[in-house]
Amino acid sequence: MDPLIITQILNILFGVTTLAMIALGLAITFGMLGVLNLAHGEFVMMGAFCALVVDRAGAPFLLAVPLALLVCGGVGLVVELLLIRPLYRRPFDTLVATWGLSLLLRKLAEAGFGLGFNSVAVPLAGTTTLFGTDYPTYRLVLIVICIAIIAALFAWYGTSRAGLKIKAMVGNPDLARALGMPVKRLATTTFVVGSCLAGLAGVMVAPLVPVHPYLGLDYVIKSFFVLVVGGLGSVLGVVAGTGVIGGLDSVMSALFGSTQAYFTVLVVAILFLWLKPRGLFAHG
Amino acid sequence: MIPISFSNVSGGYGSLNVVQELSGEVAAGQVLCIVGRNGVGKSTLLKLLLGYLPCRSGVVTICGRKAGSMAPETRRGLGVSYCPQERPVFDDLSVADNLAVMVQDGRLAGYRHFFDLFPVLERRLAQRAGTLSGGEKKLLSFTRGLAEDQPAVVLDEPTEGVQWENIQRMADIINDRKAGGTAFIVVEQNLSFAELIADHYLIMDHGRCVLTGPHTGIGRADIVKHLTV
Amino acid sequence: MANLGTLVALLVLPFAVGDYWTYQLGLYYLYAMVAVGLGLCWGQAGFLPLGQAMFFGISAYLSAILLKAMPGSYLIYLLLPLAALASGVLALLIGLMVFRRDGGSGPFFSLITLALSMLAFQIASNWNSVTGGFNGLAGIPSLPGIDDFRANYYLAAVALVVVLTLATWLYRAPLGVLWRAIAQNERRVALFGFNPHRYKAIAFAVSGFFAGLAGALYAPQQGLVSPQVVGFAFSAELLVWTAVGGRGRLYGPVLGTLLVGSMTGEMRDGVPYWEVIMAGFFMLVVLVFPQGVIGLFTPVTDRLRRSFDRARQRARIEAPARAEVAAQEPLTIEAARVSASGINILNDLTVAFPPKGVACVIGPNGAGKTSTFNLITGELPASAGSVKVGALDITNQAPYQVARLGFGRKLQAPSVFPELSIGDNLAIALWSNGARPLDLLRLSLRRWSSPIIAELAMRYAFLGKEESPASDLSHGERQILELAMALAVQPRILLLDEPCAGLSADETSRAVDVIRWAAERLGNAVIIIEHDMALVRRIADRVMVLHNGALLAEGSVADIQANPAVQAVYVGGQK
Repeated sequence: MDPLIITQILNILFGVTTLAMIALGLAITFGMLGVLNLAHGEFVMMGAFCALVVDRAGAPFLLAVPLALLVCGGVGLVVELLLIRPLYRRPFDTLVATWGLSLLLRKLAEAGFGLGFNSVAVPLAGTTTLFGTDYPTYRLVLIVICIAIIAALFAWYGTSRAGLKIKAMVGNPDLARALGMPVKRLATTTFVVGSCLAGLAGVMVAPLVPVHPYLGLDYVIKSFFVLVVGGLGSVLGVVAGTGVIGGLDSVMSALFGSTQAYFTVLVVAILFLWLKPRGLFAHG
Repeated sequence: MIPISFSNVSGGYGSLNVVQELSGEVAAGQVLCIVGRNGVGKSTLLKLLLGYLPCRSGVVTICGRKAGSMAPETRRGLGVSYCPQERPVFDDLSVADNLAVMVQDGRLAGYRHFFDLFPVLERRLAQRAGTLSGGEKKLLSFTRGLAEDQPAVVLDEPTEGVQWENIQRMADIINDRKAGGTAFIVVEQNLSFAELIADHYLIMDHGRCVLTGPHTGIGRADIVKHLTV
Repeated sequence: MANLGTLVALLVLPFAVGDYWTYQLGLYYLYAMVAVGLGLCWGQAGFLPLGQAMFFGISAYLSAILLKAMPGSYLIYLLLPLAALASGVLALLIGLMVFRRDGGSGPFFSLITLALSMLAFQIASNWNSVTGGFNGLAGIPSLPGIDDFRANYYLAAVALVVVLTLATWLYRAPLGVLWRAIAQNERRVALFGFNPHRYKAIAFAVSGFFAGLAGALYAPQQGLVSPQVVGFAFSAELLVWTAVGGRGRLYGPVLGTLLVGSMTGEMRDGVPYWEVIMAGFFMLVVLVFPQGVIGLFTPVTDRLRRSFDRARQRARIEAPARAEVAAQEPLTIEAARVSASGINILNDLTVAFPPKGVACVIGPNGAGKTSTFNLITGELPASAGSVKVGALDITNQAPYQVARLGFGRKLQAPSVFPELSIGDNLAIALWSNGARPLDLLRLSLRRWSSPIIAELAMRYAFLGKEESPASDLSHGERQILELAMALAVQPRILLLDEPCAGLSADETSRAVDVIRWAAERLGNAVIIIEHDMALVRRIADRVMVLHNGALLAEGSVADIQANPAVQAVYVGGQK
């Protein structure tokens, strides 16, 4: 096959898997808790800044992972307790409050690091030859890691007893409480896990994009579009949504350039929001 | 120790007190049947006892502990199982998962006895619970609640939509467990079922108790008067 | 009145603050106009647009293009309002298209406006031939006759006061009352025959027009229009200003914009973490102090206004009587089927309600009583069968359309508008059958009353306390208020869902008298869902018993009590 086409296919795969990784955290908090977290992108941004801090300190890149989990998990915990919990089942107020949170986190990052673009050195620099094409090793590794994390999470959710309890809690919280399930604690855990996933995604993309306080904004919007297109509450939905949005974005970028791609994604998302707000695979 | 007692309990939704100053208790090995027409506050009383709604006044005691403002999941830990009237099962889970979700090892061995009495459940283990009929859901909920084997069990209209043979088996199971010392509070509209199990009646109208006493002291005619139109 | 004071203050202000601030404030007055529109949507009508900058920016670009095309021509004073109107029309179209869909005006509407604003930013940044691309349009000539920053300041000040005056009028007019009612209970508004989607779209259109007006003036004032004016960051700031100032009051967003907005320009560099503090403050406002900064002053201003209002007692005006309908016709439901998630709630229900008198619908839990009402008023779609009034088929019409045919409904849980006054609650009911759409702009409609309300107020004195908010009422009083609202409509068919739930025996007996009295006075059909048999015996001319979504029995109270099938349903059988 034409090496150029293979490169493009890998680019599309890369775009889709990283987007899925970011959308996953949002899908967990939105789909399971019904919390529309507009600050999800800022957790990605914090993860990226963790990578930046580690990079500037000259420490090994992998150290950014525990740091991001700590920072994003910790902030997620505080946010759930102080901001999200009082507003459960008030989607409108949650929207505004998390919008405020996103503003706060952005301004904090701005105050700490300035508005400029920062770069993080790419770990695993160099390329790997695949099907006769040279492709950046780091990107290849990321594709594999993303697929592995997503598959592991889905497998865990589908087969573990904890996954069963989460499904029970989401479907019928009153009955879950009657059975003694600690619904509030599960909700907190779920939110923290979603935040950690975002942070992890931030670390992963940090070496490939300019790191700046507004980094999360595009990601959160695209992730919302993924959920909107795919529909909430199903694994298939996240996959389908990422396929449509990520695929469209990557393909259009390859064919016409990133601006046109962004434009197309926005238009498709608006059409879905307007005409089919429950998405392709919504159930119930 | 009294498994469940409540005194002067009032509460409801929003600005409305649906239940007004109700008192009662159920001893170990006894069944308290709460009867009354729909809309008189029976389910609301149960929600107050289980902690789904806050009591505006009064005291609820479960297995010797004052429940105060405890959450439903905490009250269960005190020793009470609850089978709600509405949405009695996890619709998205299979029948087997409905039964296994809170069992430590996730196995269904503890349900053998119930499967023998209600073979329909065993036949449908792999089916999504949401696809069961209303009566089958009630059987599933009843089975799950009884198998928890706690000192107190609260059932909200357990026989709604269940066919008579199975209603009789439910009564048998309850009477067995009574002999073993379990206490029951049962909200029921089916008088024939109530008569099979009740030790005490609490008859409600307009959120208040209009008649209460032991099974032996209250005649069918007294109850029918408060049930029918 | 307050607006006149504002105008004077704004006109005098430049003499006090000096040139620099005069220039700055001129800009922030324009921003305040946008914020007022946002407050109108968010604080009055109860939906939150996240992309308000889009309307500001579109009109700014239009205005810039016009100005560059005809520098110095006075014709521009005719065209600028059109540039502003274009944004209003765009907002109206978006509102009409989005509000009627499933997503309605909830979070999905907010996300749509956010996405649209990002789309506008993309277009503005890339459509080089028209918008000048990323660098925008520079060198925009100023308006003829407005040649220095002082003149620009005065123009902006006058424009702001015009917007405030328009908004004041709308807030006070019935339209504003309806917006607030929609924000509190949209379903209830629809049951009074108003199409809530349309009124929300109008609110959005007005906000779009305000933003457009500001944008149209922005271009000549600043001389430069770049993609930032349609962008996300500006929308975000507008939201913060509006929330911090106080979205619920007309002057809140203005205060927020002038206080937070103009100070940010100063403090951003001087005070460390200023923007962090502001963002934190925004969250605090959202969580614990939704009234915003203006909430600190409103207790005082409200008291002033009340004493002012009392000073000039205004007489009530008789609402136009309902147009006479030919004859009462029976309501018939035929073989209606309603299902939700695979379960049949109504199973081929066939029932006819007589055109006059009181019919009671009884039945055990889950029999489908309230669903029957929802079917009649168009809130539950029928998958088969029909609902007719006489020969008129009303199956699957929208709730507001059904309501207009002369249906009144009282919901099970009392659904009044708690944050409106008792007088406004009752007035909405009167508007529902006597007001034409344009009437909703006339302030005098706030003072409408009717003989029925007067007679009801004789029975229930609290109905006469027109100024006090409905939230002060007890549960029982709310039940009565909603009943009064349903009666004020003078419905041909009145549907009451457990009208006496939660009332004491004494209150119940008074309410029964009122219902009886109303049924005779209006000569209409009253259909009541009721559990309380004592009440049914007192009030019902006819009883329908529902069971499992179908009609089980029908007849007089005595018939029903003698019917063994009905008794079996209530006691529970052995098979």
